[in-house]
Amino acid sequence: MAGAKKSPTKKLFYEAVFKHSLEAIAILNRQGLIVEVNPAAVRLFGASKKKLVGKAIDNFGQTSLDWRQLPEQGEIQFQQFKGEIKAVEYSLVRDFLPQYNLLILRDISEVRLNALAQLKLHHQRVELFSEVTLKIRQSLQLSEILQTAVAEVQRILQADRVLIYQVFANGTGMLIEEAVLPEYKPILGMKFPEEVFPEEYRQLYTRGRVRAIADVRAADAGLAECLIEFMDEWMVKAKLVVPILQNFKSTTEPEGDRLWGLLIAHQCQATRQWTDFEQELMQQLADQIGIALSQGELLENLEGLVAERTAELRQEISERAKAEAALRRSEEQLRLIANGLPVLIAYVDRQQHYRFNNRAYQTWLGLSPPEIYDRHLLQVHGAAEYQQICQYVATALRGETVTYERDLLLQDGCVHSLSITYIPHLQEQDKVQGFFALTSDISDRKAIERMKDEFISVVSHELRTPLTSIHSSLKILATGKLGSLSTQGERMLKIADEQTERLVHLVNNVLDLQRIQSGKITMNKQACHAQELMLEAVQAMKTLAQEQDIQLSVRGSDFMVWADRDYIVQTLTNLVSNAIKFSPSNSTVVLSAANEPQPKPHLKQQSTSYITFAVRDRGQGIPQDELETIFERFQQVDSSDSRKKGGTGLGLAICRQIIEGHGGRIWAESCLEQGSTFYFTLPELIQLESDRHD
Amino acid sequence: MTEKNILLIDDEETIQEVVQVGIGIEAGWQVAIASSGWEGINLAQNQQPDAILLDVMMPDMDGIDTLSQLKNNDKTSTIPVIFLTAKAQAEEKNQFQSLGVVDVITKPFNSMTLASKIAKILDWEM
Repeated sequence: MAGAKKSPTKKLFYEAVFKHSLEAIAILNRQGLIVEVNPAAVRLFGASKKKLVGKAIDNFGQTSLDWRQLPEQGEIQFQQFKGEIKAVEYSLVRDFLPQYNLLILRDISEVRLNALAQLKLHHQRVELFSEVTLKIRQSLQLSEILQTAVAEVQRILQADRVLIYQVFANGTGMLIEEAVLPEYKPILGMKFPEEVFPEEYRQLYTRGRVRAIADVRAADAGLAECLIEFMDEWMVKAKLVVPILQNFKSTTEPEGDRLWGLLIAHQCQATRQWTDFEQELMQQLADQIGIALSQGELLENLEGLVAERTAELRQEISERAKAEAALRRSEEQLRLIANGLPVLIAYVDRQQHYRFNNRAYQTWLGLSPPEIYDRHLLQVHGAAEYQQICQYVATALRGETVTYERDLLLQDGCVHSLSITYIPHLQEQDKVQGFFALTSDISDRKAIERMKDEFISVVSHELRTPLTSIHSSLKILATGKLGSLSTQGERMLKIADEQTERLVHLVNNVLDLQRIQSGKITMNKQACHAQELMLEAVQAMKTLAQEQDIQLSVRGSDFMVWADRDYIVQTLTNLVSNAIKFSPSNSTVVLSAANEPQPKPHLKQQSTSYITFAVRDRGQGIPQDELETIFERFQQVDSSDSRKKGGTGLGLAICRQIIEGHGGRIWAESCLEQGSTFYFTLPELIQLESDRHD
Repeated sequence: MTEKNILLIDDEETIQEVVQVGIGIEAGWQVAIASSGWEGINLAQNQQPDAILLDVMMPDMDGIDTLSQLKNNDKTSTIPVIFLTAKAQAEEKNQFQSLGVVDVITKPFNSMTLASKIAKILDWEM
């Protein structure tokens, strides 16, 4: 074919490929000696083909290289003839032709260096970012955060001006922070209307828009003419704008990012192409500002809460201080009162140590405060006195109020009669914490009592002697042995005799009552049959009952009581005597005894078994409001009773003293026109016998 | 009825009289009167009465001292003594009995029943 050229042979193809390959190709013989290299290999090894051929490939290894051990693919480093170290990728085809091996090498030194440079740059950026973040986060004060942010951005980006523009809820905004080089005019504090930054722009930025404008005047920047004028006024050539978004949490609206403001970098000296790194750095710093803002707001909220709580605490402290001051005043007043009282007041704890005492206590005992406070009763009073009072202390610490009297030689050298009351201090669950000890000087009262006793004793004696004479004289006259009297004379004699009897009775009762009340009487208590006591009283009153046509009846089982026989018979006799006096003729007065539980109100812990005696009549009855007062001296339902019925007005008062002296109780129940019942209780013997055996 | 001689030692003249008349009417006994302790001791020694009624409260020598003298005197120590007193109560009665009196009769008493009381105390037949 004319003009047709002959196709190159395959050999020519291979040779061209061998010659122009960018990969270095070396052919090695069985011993690893280079037998052929292409031009790329000459470049890679840094030596001429002549120098390379015949050299063992192992000699090029940076370290000793045994090509026989090399895997088919991999990376190695070797040293060029001129000494430079090269990193290469290789591919080894063993025996690609009989006795020959093919080694293909690619220089990857540049790639590695580039990768390292990239890595370093990335590392530097990360470090820079961390450093700035740390600076921003170091403060929780908003103004400080913003100031740090603009200063750092300006420093890192080498920008001429960096601003923070805050967007308000109504769309207006203001430049609230600025870092600017001295040669440019600051624009801090400038306010912008809503039109400058309308809603659609705000939406774009809320979605994360970043505006990197290399040249504000360039058409692709798309800035409005007015904005370009503004930029010119402030000599802005290029600008980078990133949004500051704040994570918005609300209970009423959906969560999301809220556009708080913009972080803006200006380049004024010249236009500027903003790199990806710069944009990324700006965005990340803006994000950090957003986080810091959230934290700042949290802090503000927290500070608000702290301030609120602090105010509350101040209020509480103030109120507490006032309460404490009031308490101190109250304590002081109490102390003044306690010190002013002419009685001894002390508080003793469970361990019998003094915890409080008033001044009189110190004066009377002649002891200083340290000699009393925190001291045991034994130390303050001495062994002998403590022995006397310890039984009362034990009673108080059991939770019972106790009063006793002691004659003591006090600091003034005189023996004083003291009345001492221990009042237990009970707290929750009636646990005894200690007791209050109140001591008053009753020496004067005692002296008056002694005088009264003596007076009554003398008066009664002085009355009894002439009464004996009058009484006896009348009785003698009544016998008629000394002569007869007219009928009227006998009537007068009878009146004189009856009234003398009454007078005798009154004198006896006055003396009885006085003696019982003064505590001079010792009850001679013994085991008594309740029924026998009642029968004895009935026997004594039999004559009187018969005179009045009254029946006396005794009922009830035979209980045993622990009592002074004579005094209980006296009590029963008195009650029966009253019942007879106030009963209509042909009625019955009933005496009974029963084992009915009667709570003893002043003793909480002990429950003693009591026998209740009752004397019931069918008399006129007693008004309800007088059921209590009839047990007082000279108290009768009708003041004319004493004259009509011959009573002294002291009988029930004596009865009450006797029964209370036995630890019992006396009372009356009555129904007008139907009669009255007088009750009294006495301890049942069983209980006391077991006590005596203890 | 056996006639008895009673000695009353009491400084009150009215008491002396009503006791003397009362016992005389009731029992027909003789009652000698002494107005003081000393006089009573002398009379007791000389007359050796069957019983002595002794008032406790008297001027100069009271009943307790008089009793002591009577009990310390061989001639009078065995004569039963009964106290007459306006003070006596149960516990004082025990106290007096421990001093050596047989019993105590409390004022005011009825002189017309006094002889019966004495006879009962001393277990005399009337």
